[in-house]
Amino acid sequence: MEKNMKSIKLTNLEDDLKKNQIEIMLYPSKCDGCEGQEYKSCVQACETHMKEKYGKYNTARINIKSKGNKFFPILCHNCEEAPCVDACMPGARYRDNENGWTLTNYKKCVGCWMCVMVCPFGAIERVGKDHYASKCDGCIDEETPKCVEACKKGALKKIGIKNYSYERRLMIANKLYGPHLKINYNRYKNNSR
Amino acid sequence: MRYVIIGNSYAGLSCADAIRRFDKTGEITIISDESYKAYARPLISYYLEGKTTDETIWYKDDDYYEKNNYKTLFGKRVVSVNTSDKKVVLDDNESIEYDKLFIGPGGVPFVPPIEGFNAESPMMGTFTKFDDAKKMERGAKLAKHKEAIVIGGGLIGLKASEGLRALDMHVTIAELLPRVLGLALDEISGGITAKKLNENGIDTATNDTVTKINVDEAGNPTSVTMKSGRELVADIVIVAIGVRPNVGFLEGSGITIDRGIVVDKTMMTNIKDVYAGGDAIVSYDILNKKPNIIAIVPLACEQGRVAGTNMAGVYREYYGGMGLNSVEIYGLPIITIGLTNPNNPSQTVFIHQEDESVYRKLVYDGQVLVGAILLGDVAGAGILSAIIRQGEKCLKYKDEFLKGNIYSFVIDNEFEVYNINEGYAIRGDFEDLPQFSRSNWR
Ligand SMILES: Cc1cc2nc3c(=O)[nH]c(=O)nc-3n(C[C@H](O)[C@H](O)[C@H](O)COP(=O)(O)OP(=O)(O)OC[C@H]3O[C@@H](n4cnc5c(N)ncnc54)[C@H](O)[C@@H]3O)c2cc1C
Ligand code: SF4
Ligand code: SF4
Ligand code: SF4
Repeated sequence: MEKNMKSIKLTNLEDDLKKNQIEIMLYPSKCDGCEGQEYKSCVQACETHMKEKYGKYNTARINIKSKGNKFFPILCHNCEEAPCVDACMPGARYRDNENGWTLTNYKKCVGCWMCVMVCPFGAIERVGKDHYASKCDGCIDEETPKCVEACKKGALKKIGIKNYSYERRLMIANKLYGPHLKINYNRYKNNSR
Repeated sequence: MRYVIIGNSYAGLSCADAIRRFDKTGEITIISDESYKAYARPLISYYLEGKTTDETIWYKDDDYYEKNNYKTLFGKRVVSVNTSDKKVVLDDNESIEYDKLFIGPGGVPFVPPIEGFNAESPMMGTFTKFDDAKKMERGAKLAKHKEAIVIGGGLIGLKASEGLRALDMHVTIAELLPRVLGLALDEISGGITAKKLNENGIDTATNDTVTKINVDEAGNPTSVTMKSGRELVADIVIVAIGVRPNVGFLEGSGITIDRGIVVDKTMMTNIKDVYAGGDAIVSYDILNKKPNIIAIVPLACEQGRVAGTNMAGVYREYYGGMGLNSVEIYGLPIITIGLTNPNNPSQTVFIHQEDESVYRKLVYDGQVLVGAILLGDVAGAGILSAIIRQGEKCLKYKDEFLKGNIYSFVIDNEFEVYNINEGYAIRGDFEDLPQFSRSNWR
């Protein structure tokens, strides 16, 4: 018992960084829903890739929802202790301990929509006609997720954890001091001249 | 450390997994009175429909028990628990000692006294186990008139009817309430559901029930007499009134039982080192604000996990749960969340209906959403579940929700509340960055 307890550590930071780097970053304000295009780039890229990967379970896993002039990409947030895994009766959704992602065995999915009912981000789509519920798998076996590759507007980005924290700090600094920090870029330009 | 787990199903396995996460070497023994490895209990009706098979009904991978180093005792019933000597006694008189015990025995079907009912008959029974489904599969082959009666129009009754229908039986559901799924649905949605059932060969006899089952010499049913006086031909009779916590074997163990096993926030019973979860317990209902029996899969998993984490020595509390459920009836998806029928005057109801294809109902208590029914179009249902669970104020979104624009809440909140319009990351394991974690939403 004693020995066990000592070996308990919720996370090993280094391992986690290697294994579970944060890799998709959303910049919703940059998303314009690919206006004017026939297809949304990310949606199309995802669909093509899913067709290759899952065969008949081929619907796009990413969805662009809009309200007024705001667009928001909806995709799986890969919850720790994911509600969709808890709710899935046949065990089609599961957590892969190797790569830390919630994945799906579509052969087991029976279309009970329990997962649709509990996903707090609305990231699961009911495909009623073929009776399965589709969910993003993070493109775990790809170098870069296909939707990220496809987005030319910079609304989806691949990012490592260090960069994430850097961007996050920038963002907060910007938000707290942004309006008061008036940087006169021209001055720098003049100086350098 | 010796962990013993009674129940090889959602609650039990989720508990085992939580223990294993923190204790890699402790001895974990899983006991079940069914001789199968874990299967998806709610899928036994899908099994009859052929939507799941002998290959896909299993809940976990084939090597699951081995890989996690779980010892299994299947096909053995626990007859009593001796909490003073810390052991459980099996039906073959063997006793197993434990340091920590988890009790997740689920529910047993409730059978009211009905004249003529005999569970031993191959043509009668209840519907909660894999064996029950297999029995019905055999029974349907023997049925002469292809007529089946299901007593009880709740979720299990509906599922049993669908299963029997797929076996080419004509089914009649007898339900005492004025509609099917009476507790979760309301008049309109219940009506739409009943119509869907009727169109597909399942009759609904509401406000009615079976008073007597007429049997032949062999003890098998021939017909049933209804309260309304009708007599219906019946080859098969299933009783699906509901389930009750399976706690009979705990008598004399000293564990407090009030309908179900009573647990504290850590899922521990009144006896130290004895934990419980799943359909067998009463747990905190966050909407009704009192302990309640909520027999659904997601809660069984959550409760098992909280118990297991505490059993392994890592403190954790259970936040409480709420009732919610999802079914699809012949292509019509139905999701019910929280309090779907208002139970006090401070609650207001908003309804949107498009013919018989889409129906949405919201129940608000003041500014706070406390319940919803989504029928036909269920996209974004999880967002409503999260809102209801969190007790968010969202009255101003009611029109959007009614129209089905559930995502509008997320869009506004993601932009405004979280101020993430400059970007936020969604992929990865956030344990080291708790303040950024979007995953500890509950
Ligand atoms: C037909 C049907 C449809 C359902 N549909 C849904 C649905 O759509 N959505 C939903 O959320 N829920 C549904 N449910 C409910 C769901 O099945 C339960 O909530 C869930 O199974 C509870 O899990 P559990 O681990 O608490 O117990 P159970 O799954 O009941 O498992 C109990 C375990 O304990 C073992 N056990 C019991 N007594 C003993 C003993 N004395 N000794 C040894 N072992 C014992 C059993 O063998 C079993 O392994 C449905 C149930 C049925 C029957
Ligand atoms: S599908 Fe939804 S619930 Fe499941 S991991 Fe993704 S975001 Fe979480
Ligand atoms: S719809 Fe499929 S993935 Fe979702 S809970 Fe049901 S079986 Fe699991
Ligand atoms: S990460 Fe992959 S699966 Fe997920 S939305 Fe992007 S392309 Fe689709």
